Amino acid sequence: MILKKSMIRTLKEKKFQYAGVSLLLLLAVTLYVSLSMAVTTLEERNARFTEDYKQETFHFVPSEPVDSSKLQEWEEEFDVTLEARSYYDADVDDSVLRVFSQTEEINLPYLSEGSNPTDGSEIAVSSVFAEKNDLHIGDEVEISGERMEVTGFVYLPDYIYMIEQLTDLISDAEKFGIAIASESVMDQWSSRSQTEITGWTSDGEVPDGFMEAVRAETTILQFVEAGDNPRIQFVDTEIEGAKSMNNTLPLFILALAAAMVLLLMRRRIEMQRKEIGTLLALGYRRNELLRHYLGYAWVIGLSGTVLGLAAGAGLSVPLSNLYANYFNLPALSMFDFNPMVLVIGLIIPLVLMLSLTAWGIHRALKVEPLTLLRPKEVTVGRKSWLERLPLLNKGSFIQRFRLRLLVRNKARSLYIFLGVMFSTVLLLFGFITFNSMDQLVETTYEDIMTYDYAVYYQSLQTEEPADGSDPFTVGEVNVKGQDAKLTGYGIETGTPYIHLLSDEEKLNSELKEGAVLSTPAAAVLGVGAGEDITLTNSLNDEEMTVQVAGVADVYIGSQIYLPREVFNEFLGYPGDAYSAVWQAEKPERGADVYQIEDKQKVIDSFEATSGATRSSVIGMAVFAVVISVIVLTLLTNLIVEENSPSISLFKVMGYHNSEVSKLVLSVYTPVVMLSYLISIPLAGLTLGQLMNSLVEQTGFILPTDVSLWMAATGFVVIMLTYALSIALSKRKLKQVSLQEALKKQQD
Amino acid sequence: MAIFAEKVTKTYQSGEVTVKALREASLTVPDKKIVTILGPSGSGKSTLLNVIGGIDRYDEGQIVVDGRTLDGLKDKQLTEYRRKNIGFIFQQYNLIPTLTVEENVEVGRELSSNPLPMEDTLKKVGMLDKKAKFPFQLSGGEQQRVAIARALIKNPNILLCDEPTGALDEDTGKNILKLLKYVNETYGTTVLIITHNQGIGEMAHQVIRMSSGEIVETFENETLVDPEQVTWS
Repeated sequence: MILKKSMIRTLKEKKFQYAGVSLLLLLAVTLYVSLSMAVTTLEERNARFTEDYKQETFHFVPSEPVDSSKLQEWEEEFDVTLEARSYYDADVDDSVLRVFSQTEEINLPYLSEGSNPTDGSEIAVSSVFAEKNDLHIGDEVEISGERMEVTGFVYLPDYIYMIEQLTDLISDAEKFGIAIASESVMDQWSSRSQTEITGWTSDGEVPDGFMEAVRAETTILQFVEAGDNPRIQFVDTEIEGAKSMNNTLPLFILALAAAMVLLLMRRRIEMQRKEIGTLLALGYRRNELLRHYLGYAWVIGLSGTVLGLAAGAGLSVPLSNLYANYFNLPALSMFDFNPMVLVIGLIIPLVLMLSLTAWGIHRALKVEPLTLLRPKEVTVGRKSWLERLPLLNKGSFIQRFRLRLLVRNKARSLYIFLGVMFSTVLLLFGFITFNSMDQLVETTYEDIMTYDYAVYYQSLQTEEPADGSDPFTVGEVNVKGQDAKLTGYGIETGTPYIHLLSDEEKLNSELKEGAVLSTPAAAVLGVGAGEDITLTNSLNDEEMTVQVAGVADVYIGSQIYLPREVFNEFLGYPGDAYSAVWQAEKPERGADVYQIEDKQKVIDSFEATSGATRSSVIGMAVFAVVISVIVLTLLTNLIVEENSPSISLFKVMGYHNSEVSKLVLSVYTPVVMLSYLISIPLAGLTLGQLMNSLVEQTGFILPTDVSLWMAATGFVVIMLTYALSIALSKRKLKQVSLQEALKKQQD
Repeated sequence: MAIFAEKVTKTYQSGEVTVKALREASLTVPDKKIVTILGPSGSGKSTLLNVIGGIDRYDEGQIVVDGRTLDGLKDKQLTEYRRKNIGFIFQQYNLIPTLTVEENVEVGRELSSNPLPMEDTLKKVGMLDKKAKFPFQLSGGEQQRVAIARALIKNPNILLCDEPTGALDEDTGKNILKLLKYVNETYGTTVLIITHNQGIGEMAHQVIRMSSGEIVETFENETLVDPEQVTWS
């Protein structure tokens, strides 16, 4: 159809408008495809690694060694595979390298490069640790005073998220890594190494009665199911979280693009009323014209989606590798093609564009050709109810003109409102996340946890702890009627090492009235101060109902704090028993010490990752600004085009460009400001809801308060963006000729 | 192609005011003739042209074109009627600004199963050498020539011209009238011209006068004046 040429020329002439929409679409599709493909790859690698390398179903740490005959006996009784694995935490410069014995049944190591260590001076390290510490195959590394040669790079399926302590939040491969060594190496370190028993079942469940059988034999210091193990579980959480984010963010951008297409098409149809009327009068069928106008949606939709698909697919490879590095997953596959992602990435935007355009055009095509050929019924002079408000009839001509323009283009005002809101929320998400990391460290690790070290023992201690140490008991508890596990802490109410703060009020004394929960625990259980919860002991069937005395600003982990004697009684321990101590001085690693937690290392991990967080915040802010600039510029450009006869008339009358700009262009400033102000609490609320919905999987909650500096910085960014889009549209305003008004009169 | 209209009535509602645009208008337009409908603004001549062209509907009466009534035709059927039989020429030309002269004419050609040759048509309207120009590069007269070519290339049976010279000066207007006469003589196209320019009636085979929605006079010219010689008013 010859009309196609008209469409191509219009697209070229209005390239900025249509390219802007296409760009929005491209961003939406690129984001969706790259993230979805990366997540598919991550999911596939995780599934294959878990299955092919026999990821553990559980592991436990006995207080006494369990001999192999006992393990065999349990294997037969409970139809479970069990394997003892020893490990040693070696200091390598400023880092900790956890060296494991090589296993043959469970948690099989995957060697990505090089060879397995075979003799007493060889070691294979995790590739990401090697990369961060500049280690290569063949290099020698000093471990606990001994020179060891790196023979290869290794991955372990139970250390996908490589954290030192189960309570750690951030993985920092520079500070903590894993390695495997031969039996002879492990024998050398046997006096200092720990042993854990790993278990695997075909159905992924801990066999009924297994824990009781083990407990009858020895005290269990720790029993962790794969589902509760963040080293294993966090990747699944990330996959689930990413899946929901993958859809939400692109959907918002897609909605903005679709709304823009609708606005543009309505404008095009409006401008071409006479053309449509002429074509209909000449004998063109309505469906032929529908097809013609749908061509715009096809071009915008196809260019945006196809380029978006290509860019998204390309971007998914480095993104997958970034994910894989972060999660310490081997590249079992390079690029996992998910045809559904491509289909959705192509079909949904196209269908949306086409159906919205068809809807918009259909309305115009329903009109009789004669009506289209006549000038549109003049609506100028008719006032909507908004314009009749006394407030809008006051002020100077300029003010009234601007207000009238504003209320007569409600759809555009709404579009600007939503566009600014989207960008603001995105921007503030970045700020809040950035600020939360600092606040989280400050509140949790500096204000609340004032100890420097936590020393966990292999067995219960009853003797008086050394001076400067404060005893506590730690154990896992279940909550009746809820599918949630909490880490219970039995503490001295007067301990100097834990200040259970809630909005700067100390809750330690409240422990006499009941239990204090961490913020994630309260969110998971959905309870607050004054409510009762019933705890059950996971090792026996004991029950205890306690009142929640308060919720502390502890943002990491699902913890419940109780007085030590109460918690001991619940666990069936002697009243003065304790399983760990907090202290300020660096402890010696004695034979009965199971684990030492160095708080500074945890803080260092946070700080080490703050660089990455800062980069992602900058990325998010840039993204928000780009979206905002596109949306605002497209709209202001459209306003200039639509009002070109008035602009021309103002110029003819002697108004300066700057005055005309004030009259027409900056009319949406109040909308931008209003949208920004409403978005501030919305961003905090949305992120808070998001955090709450993910807390069960992540185990932490970020404080989501919007501080003054965030609001001020966000305001400056958004207003600068608005100013930029106005400046871009001013060029178009200057180009409006003085004859425009006359031409319109002739029409 | 002959056109018969019998007691055609058309009423518009404009707010609270009812406007009778056509009051029992009856006429016969003979096949292959030039007919001018004269009358002042608001006399109903445009409405009559529009209902004959099938871009507007009448309330009562009957219009028969080439033996087929337009009564009760649905939108799609009216479209097909226009597509096959009618060529429209508007006062404001209504060209598509993003298409060249040739492409604008192509817009009309696409609708016909039996179109005239492109080059020939452009040559006939004197626009062959400007076929690559866009409408904004043309004068009013030239634009109207393109509009005529667009209507003509369909090889329609009826050419409906709504004030074709209304926006043109005398010389250019007369050139357009010459062209319409040429089309009538060469292709046997029935040409219906509505105008308030009394002089144009001198070149038509038949003249119809309208006033307040009624046909007040119909007469045939015994001698036809050459378009060059019509009295321009």
